[in-house]
Amino acid sequence: MQIQDFFRYTFNGIRAQRLRSFLTTLGIAVGIGAVVLLTSLGEGLHRFVLAEFTQFGTNLIAINPGKVTTHGVSGALLSNVRPLTIEDTAILKQLPQILDVVSVVQGNGAIKAGGRQRRATIYGVDASAARVWKFAVAAGRFLPDDPPRSARSFVVLGSKVRQELFGSNQALGMRIRIGGELFRVIGSMESKGQMLGFDLDDAVYIPAAKAMALFNRESLMEIDLLHTAGSSSSVVAEKVRKALQARHGKEDFTITTQEKMLEILGGVLNTLTIAVGALGGISLLVGGVGILTIMSITVNERTGEIGLLRAMGVEQSQILTLFLGEAVLLAAIGGLAGLGLGVGGSWLFSLAVPALPAHISWTYVASAELLAAFVGLLAGVLPARRAARLHPVEALRAE
Amino acid sequence: MQIRDILSFSLLAATANRGRTLLMLLAMAIAVSSVVVLISLGDSARHYVIDQFSTLGTNLLIVLPGRSETTGGPPPLLGATPRDLTLADAMALNRARTVRRITPIIAGSAPISVRSLEREMLVLGSTSELYEIRHLALSQGSFLPPGEPTRAEAVCVIGQKGKKELFGNQPAIGRWLRIGDRRFRVIGVLSSSGVSLGEDLGEVVIIPVAAAQALFNTSSLFRILVEATSPEGIEQTRKSILDTIRVRHEGEDDITVITQDAVLTTFDRIFKALTLSVAGIAAISLVVAGIMIMNVMLVAVSNRRAEIGLLKALGASRTQILGLFLTESTILSSIGAGIGLVLALLGMRLAAFLFPQFPLQLAPWSSAISLGVALITGVVFGVLPARRAADLEPAFALMRR
Amino acid sequence: MISLQNIERIFQVGDEEVHALRDVSMTATDGDHIAIMGPSGSGKSSLLNILGLLDRPDTGSYELDGVKVSELDEKEQARIRRHKIGFVFQFFHLVPRLTAFDNIALPLMLAGMKQDERQARVTAALAAFGLGNRAQHRPDQLSGGQRQRVAIARATIMQPSVILADEPTGNLDRNSGIEVVEILEELNRQGITLIMVTHDPELGRRAQRQILMVDGRIEREAEG
Repeated sequence: MQIQDFFRYTFNGIRAQRLRSFLTTLGIAVGIGAVVLLTSLGEGLHRFVLAEFTQFGTNLIAINPGKVTTHGVSGALLSNVRPLTIEDTAILKQLPQILDVVSVVQGNGAIKAGGRQRRATIYGVDASAARVWKFAVAAGRFLPDDPPRSARSFVVLGSKVRQELFGSNQALGMRIRIGGELFRVIGSMESKGQMLGFDLDDAVYIPAAKAMALFNRESLMEIDLLHTAGSSSSVVAEKVRKALQARHGKEDFTITTQEKMLEILGGVLNTLTIAVGALGGISLLVGGVGILTIMSITVNERTGEIGLLRAMGVEQSQILTLFLGEAVLLAAIGGLAGLGLGVGGSWLFSLAVPALPAHISWTYVASAELLAAFVGLLAGVLPARRAARLHPVEALRAE
Repeated sequence: MQIRDILSFSLLAATANRGRTLLMLLAMAIAVSSVVVLISLGDSARHYVIDQFSTLGTNLLIVLPGRSETTGGPPPLLGATPRDLTLADAMALNRARTVRRITPIIAGSAPISVRSLEREMLVLGSTSELYEIRHLALSQGSFLPPGEPTRAEAVCVIGQKGKKELFGNQPAIGRWLRIGDRRFRVIGVLSSSGVSLGEDLGEVVIIPVAAAQALFNTSSLFRILVEATSPEGIEQTRKSILDTIRVRHEGEDDITVITQDAVLTTFDRIFKALTLSVAGIAAISLVVAGIMIMNVMLVAVSNRRAEIGLLKALGASRTQILGLFLTESTILSSIGAGIGLVLALLGMRLAAFLFPQFPLQLAPWSSAISLGVALITGVVFGVLPARRAADLEPAFALMRR
Repeated sequence: MISLQNIERIFQVGDEEVHALRDVSMTATDGDHIAIMGPSGSGKSSLLNILGLLDRPDTGSYELDGVKVSELDEKEQARIRRHKIGFVFQFFHLVPRLTAFDNIALPLMLAGMKQDERQARVTAALAAFGLGNRAQHRPDQLSGGQRQRVAIARATIMQPSVILADEPTGNLDRNSGIEVVEILEELNRQGITLIMVTHDPELGRRAQRQILMVDGRIEREAEG
């Protein structure tokens, strides 16, 4: 049989029962559409979260005091008997391959300017914070590179705090009160938006030593460092570990590399995407049962035709291919329609929720289409085999 | 026509073609069982988390230092504040009428050692009230003694797992251990209450709050736990806590009070939303199963034209034919849903057997859901075929053999 | 009492209009025995379908027992079919998955009769048509003659005033055919109007009146 004749014949079978074929393909289409849409959403979420995390750069390493991994909370949250200090920061800065180091103290307090007050997050950091965290200054400048222990009382405002305290008035050069102490505003930041629920704009940045005095503590909560782009973060992390261990005598800190975190995060998000895709796959399974049903009905109804074909000298294997072809064609058409549904759905979703753009992963799309054809093949095997094995005489009698 | 007759006639018609019927039931069962299983899993997870959270205490309020003005954002769980929450603040809260008991908490991490063995553990500085407020249980010894919270007695209560790691199978009561550079005598061992919301009480050492202040060299509290006298008193307590602290902090509102209720409600909402969306995704398969039922019913209608013509000739009205075919599709979807429900039940039983630590069970309203789903699917996807049947011209339907 | 006035029925087949009935008028009084005869495609079955309310005429009126049934709605027509008309078909039209008993009980079931009341009537009918020991057999376990007797039992179970039979012997061997015709004639003698479509002239001659149809018209009518 010529290949085009084969296609014409199978296609004819599908067209002869328009409504039935439409509904069968619709079943597969809904299944494939669900898989494509869901994996697109998963992929979109994946990218969204990774983008949130990498907005501070990818060559970051964070050091927290204490080895408190079992409790699942950061060491910075808790009191600690062996703290990280500003001096640790200074030592780390001298290590090779390290571009910048930031001491971090974080807290919460009231910020007063004139008659207004706002409670916001207070970050105690170094001048290097703007470089390490890739902050952009909207007006003025970031904290100056003062000696860490004797930094001047300067403050840089997050965009929301600036807006709340000063509105459209000039903020630069003004004096504000943070926890009873006076600070001079030397700059304000561009809006960074939210990261995982934390409003980065509702914050002020002051020198780390000042924050430690303000919060009445002697230790840092975190040290962030930026290493050179070419160097491996695990190698750098190892050097940091050695240097700190030499100073503290023990490994009483936790090092988290951005790379490792992204790896873990990526793993989790991939699992999520696959899990959600698998949920959609249930529909595909049901659609497969649908093809199986319809194909067995078709074989039943066309018993006479099969007898005729056999009488005209068509081989069993050809009958098998004909009916298998019909099943696969049904599934493939359904798959294509499903792609349309899924891609259209993702597009609509992106329109509705621009913050979380669905991302169509063509690998998933291609595998979904292949899966559809495979489902058709699988569902077609039983009915097609029954068709091929029909006895020609019996089959003809059915007419 | 009598209801019984409609049912038996349709049942007979629905099951006349065994292979086809089985496949349809299979499709429906897959769809229904996946929806029911996912709802049940979500529901079990919700119960688990809420139960866990409820064991933290009853009528509980948590006071933390710091306050953030960003609405809808998370409370300032991290970080320090210019003005500490002090032991004196905590004691002052005791005066309110609706407060049953309070306990201050300082949390820290420190190396704990017994001879050469050393472990990094969570150290909680608290008072004897922690025992009642957190519903703790001891396996041996006694809890921190009651008395002035400012007294730094060198005693500690240790978690089950920590005890095993430091003392092995030997008795721990009366032994000394070292936290940082200080020595403490073990007076009690907690019973293994397992993990409760990430806080592993197995690896914790509880010491008097004053001792923790000295150990960590801080006067600042990490949390204050407050237990109200009654659920109705919670709101009142919250207000009086805010008022008391405001007066003590020179008119500033610089604390955050979280009520257990609010957290429970949030968890409840999150888990419900999660369950619904996962079940919703699985419900797409119901649509597919419905389409399939519609398809097969359409085939049945065209195969049974003569029968439909005959029924009309015998005086069946359009409505009767419509009813017969709708009943048939609904019977099919119902049986399928029933099988799906049984599959889901078996699946959940199996899961409960495999993971005995989680309370896995079929969601209570599963049967109602599957029944509802079956009826809706049967009717919605049965309408088109049934209308086709009802609209057949009897003369035409009978004409072909 | 049946009265057809100027009945027209046109079918659309492809692009072509087929005039199935042209200006057909006829009457039948209660207890009549009428054979409708004619070649294939002459409109015999179309006429029977109109008489049985299975089809609506395009124009013309149909009066049954003093009621203008051609103007009734679908539901009322169904009621009349149920109570006044019994059908017997060439291909029996038994529901294959139902037993002989249930096939005969179908009209009673559609009419909403309770099961215990049905029991007695169907059992009596089975006995009357010599099918007493065939109650639980399905159609494929019955002979052609038995099948047609089940069909006649079903057609008469509601005690209709008219029986419409479309080639009732067309699918039977000679002996079974004669048997079936005798049953129908016996019913006619009991007062039921019998209208039968046939192209068997011998069968036609047994009727009281013969109507010959050609090309959608009544060509001629003969008595006895």
